[in-house]
Amino acid sequence: MADLKKLVSLPEVKSAVRSDLAGGFLGALRHPDGEAVAAVAGFLSSTLVQVGDELGLGTLSRLSFESSARACLLILQDGTVTATFLEPAAALSAIEKLLDAPTQGA
Amino acid sequence: MEAILQAVLDIPGVSAALVLDGAGRLLGQRGRALYDRALCEQLGTSLIKAIDAVHLQQEDWESMSARYTDGKLLVRNLGTLAGSTHVLVVIADATLNPSFATVSIRVAANKLKKVLGGGGASSLTSSVASTSAPASSPALAASSRPGSTAGLASSSVAWSQPSSVGLSRIAVADPASAALLARAAKELARHVGPMSKVYVEEGVRRVCPDAPFSLASAARLIDDLAGQIKVVSKRTEFRKAFERE
Repeated sequence: MADLKKLVSLPEVKSAVRSDLAGGFLGALRHPDGEAVAAVAGFLSSTLVQVGDELGLGTLSRLSFESSARACLLILQDGTVTATFLEPAAALSAIEKLLDAPTQGA
Repeated sequence: MEAILQAVLDIPGVSAALVLDGAGRLLGQRGRALYDRALCEQLGTSLIKAIDAVHLQQEDWESMSARYTDGKLLVRNLGTLAGSTHVLVVIADATLNPSFATVSIRVAANKLKKVLGGGGASSLTSSVASTSAPASSPALAASSRPGSTAGLASSSVAWSQPSSVGLSRIAVADPASAALLARAAKELARHVGPMSKVYVEEGVRRVCPDAPFSLASAARLIDDLAGQIKVVSKRTEFRKAFERE
């Protein structure tokens, strides 16, 4: 499900960027400034990985931030970070449910 | 603030609740034994870095959620003050019911916004005045609306409810300045009684006639207020209360 093209095929997903945890740019779809997003996503993810370690929360798998209008969902998988930009923000919970659903539905 | 954080801590699955300012300083904290104050303070710097990154990506962000294998980290934006974002951070274990928690945390965040923004500052001010641990519950002021830093210089910034005589009309530059004013009113009240808030307001007008009160003017304000105390020994006692800081 974290496949970039599958994610972006959802109508609520406006764009997506994939990076590594160091912020290295791996790919983007429908996003004009993928490299900048990759840097932020990598930094944010690695910082929260560190926070999780300090708190004993285990492995970071997903993080999101949102406003009333839009949201961003970052999925950490196999050493990569996939940042997806969603509109409207209300789609975030639906997308997360899709990600949580058994893989046979994907 | 402590009562609000305690209400968050009472949500099943929540291990700790804390409020951080834009510099990562801990303004309030409630947590289970493992998540003590020292750990939360240590956490502040890293969390603020993450929040800065979120802000860089999406300036109008309102909430953030991080899911780990053994728990969750939830952050709510409490508004911007003097250019820095204040946040409510909730640390939870895997048993947290996200739907239930979201509502409760939103309620808590709204209450905290009122406290930080002045809407509920009278209760905070009184709690500061009655506690001996101001570091854990500083009085905060100024607008809590995201992106409203320009409003800080405005006299419309509320520091406390209108029922708090005098202080409601004082504009402050940052939370630390507001906390100092609360302390000044409290200390002065020991010597001059309930008129202390009026004296503080008048003192701020004299010391900072054209700008929000800030810590840069603290020494002049304390000097000014000390002048309201006629008994020399009490005046000295008042000054000493602020020299300890």
